[in-house]
Amino acid sequence: MTTTNERTGQLRGAGNDGSCKHYDLSTPQKLMIFVLSMALFGLSNILLEIVPDVHIGPIDFSVSYFVFIPLTMAALFSPFWAALGAPLGEIIFTDLLMGDFSGLSEIEGFLQMFLAIYIAGSVIRNPRSRPQIVLGALLVVFIDKLLSAVVDLGKVWIGVEEAEYVEGLPESMLVLEGLGFGIDILMSGVLFGVVPALWLIPALHGKIEPLMGMRPRVPGEPFPGRAPKSGLFIGAVVLLSIASFFFAFLEAWDVNVGAFQPEFLEEYGNGFVWISVIAIVIVTALAILFFRKAQHNADQKVDN
Amino acid sequence: MARKQHDVLSIEWIKLELIRTAYATRGGLFSKMDPRAVLAWYLILAIAPWFTHNLTVLSVFFILGVISVALAKVGPLILGLFVFGLLTETIYIFIAALFFGGDLTTIVALTELTLKLGTISMASMAAFVSLDPEKLSDALLALRAPTLLAFAVSYGYRMLPILVEEFNTVFDNYRLRSAPPEKPGFLGYHTVVHWATMTIRSFYPIFLNTAQSVRTTVEALETRGFTYATVDNRGRDIRLAYLKIRGLDIAVLALTLVGVVMAFVVGDSWPVYRGSLSL
Repeated sequence: MTTTNERTGQLRGAGNDGSCKHYDLSTPQKLMIFVLSMALFGLSNILLEIVPDVHIGPIDFSVSYFVFIPLTMAALFSPFWAALGAPLGEIIFTDLLMGDFSGLSEIEGFLQMFLAIYIAGSVIRNPRSRPQIVLGALLVVFIDKLLSAVVDLGKVWIGVEEAEYVEGLPESMLVLEGLGFGIDILMSGVLFGVVPALWLIPALHGKIEPLMGMRPRVPGEPFPGRAPKSGLFIGAVVLLSIASFFFAFLEAWDVNVGAFQPEFLEEYGNGFVWISVIAIVIVTALAILFFRKAQHNADQKVDN
Repeated sequence: MARKQHDVLSIEWIKLELIRTAYATRGGLFSKMDPRAVLAWYLILAIAPWFTHNLTVLSVFFILGVISVALAKVGPLILGLFVFGLLTETIYIFIAALFFGGDLTTIVALTELTLKLGTISMASMAAFVSLDPEKLSDALLALRAPTLLAFAVSYGYRMLPILVEEFNTVFDNYRLRSAPPEKPGFLGYHTVVHWATMTIRSFYPIFLNTAQSVRTTVEALETRGFTYATVDNRGRDIRLAYLKIRGLDIAVLALTLVGVVMAFVVGDSWPVYRGSLSL
């Protein structure tokens, strides 16, 4: 570490003999990371809200979010709390305040963004490693956009397969989703993800942590709030993705199937909705249980 | 207080507009109500549209939404962004459909969704524009939401104008200290790159400033025992003692319920479904 920390006294988190042992964040520190991630990501979303979207034909060329902000938080502090704060900041700052709150799909977006930042942040084990930063930035956009593209395609597929109602929609959706995915990776992932992150993360490493009363992360040491590498965790991720699909399909069913198939409605009634709701509850509860268990196992492994 | 500003799309105006929104300074019907009643009202209008596919009912809901936006005195920025979004969405769908060989049925097919989402958006505008951060977080607390969420909401609403102001200052610094590109380039390419670079560079000081202010906030909270106050319910009771459901709340909720029921009655008499609208 070349920088010297100006703040006098013992930094919280460091061992008494100055060694860097495995440390856990205290509750106020978690709160700080959560709030900072929320505030900064919310601010960046406000900025993007003001900039008008660029469409060329049906293709959207605008930047969806500043990936480098939550990624920096996850890489320098703790992926879990950064991932929890960032999508909430988006909901509170832009969606609630700007009157853009859309109920169920907000939860879908929250889950997808949370998973993306949590996983991508855990990939960056060394905040100074350029390949890891590149991989992390691309992973955030990749996971988030892939999940939502699958959801979008699934919606149309389920809806249109049953009744050939909207002509020209399935093929166009496939092409549009594919193109949109590529452009998102390029715009949000590379131009506003990889490039700024490669500069910002090393620039802030060692400088921002003392301001928050924490010790900078040391490469290779286990860091708090990382995604555990275990089957349980992967199971939890899959379950959460399924839960987010169910949220989307609640709407999809509503828009595509229910609307122009009154017989379908009469046959199954609103029971279909309730089955989806129950599925969401069960799947989410299981996912949280798996997360807890995986986190617990990982902690025990470190302590031993 | 009458506003006499006409330079509409300046950062300054956006900032003021956000402050007005966040602090519900325009008054309006819902800002006089109990925050819990406002949330309940919002839930009614946000959930009801999902239980129907009848275009007549949805149109009535849409009108209810328009009335509530008018009663809540939603500001021009939020309203402008909403209308702009609604228009571009419709045009986008239209172009997409034409481009890939669909026809006008696609538009009709998506009208229902637009009506639903429009109603919900208007309800949320009306509700959240009328709630200042304190009230909203108290309402969330009263409804037993996680303390972290209640705190996040109140902090977010309070800090947003300050953050935007700070960002503006930093951004202006970068503008003053750097030369604009000599030629705008193809489609203003150089200018766009210049502005994007300045925006990203501004985040370095913003990160550091915000980190410090967040730390100050959290430490101030902890000094007052924020984490430990959530363990004991008495603190919560004292904080929420002022919340009271009054006649106005009941009247507004009752009127909205009547409106929703009326919408279904009207829809039953003159039902219009998407399938029956053939062009």
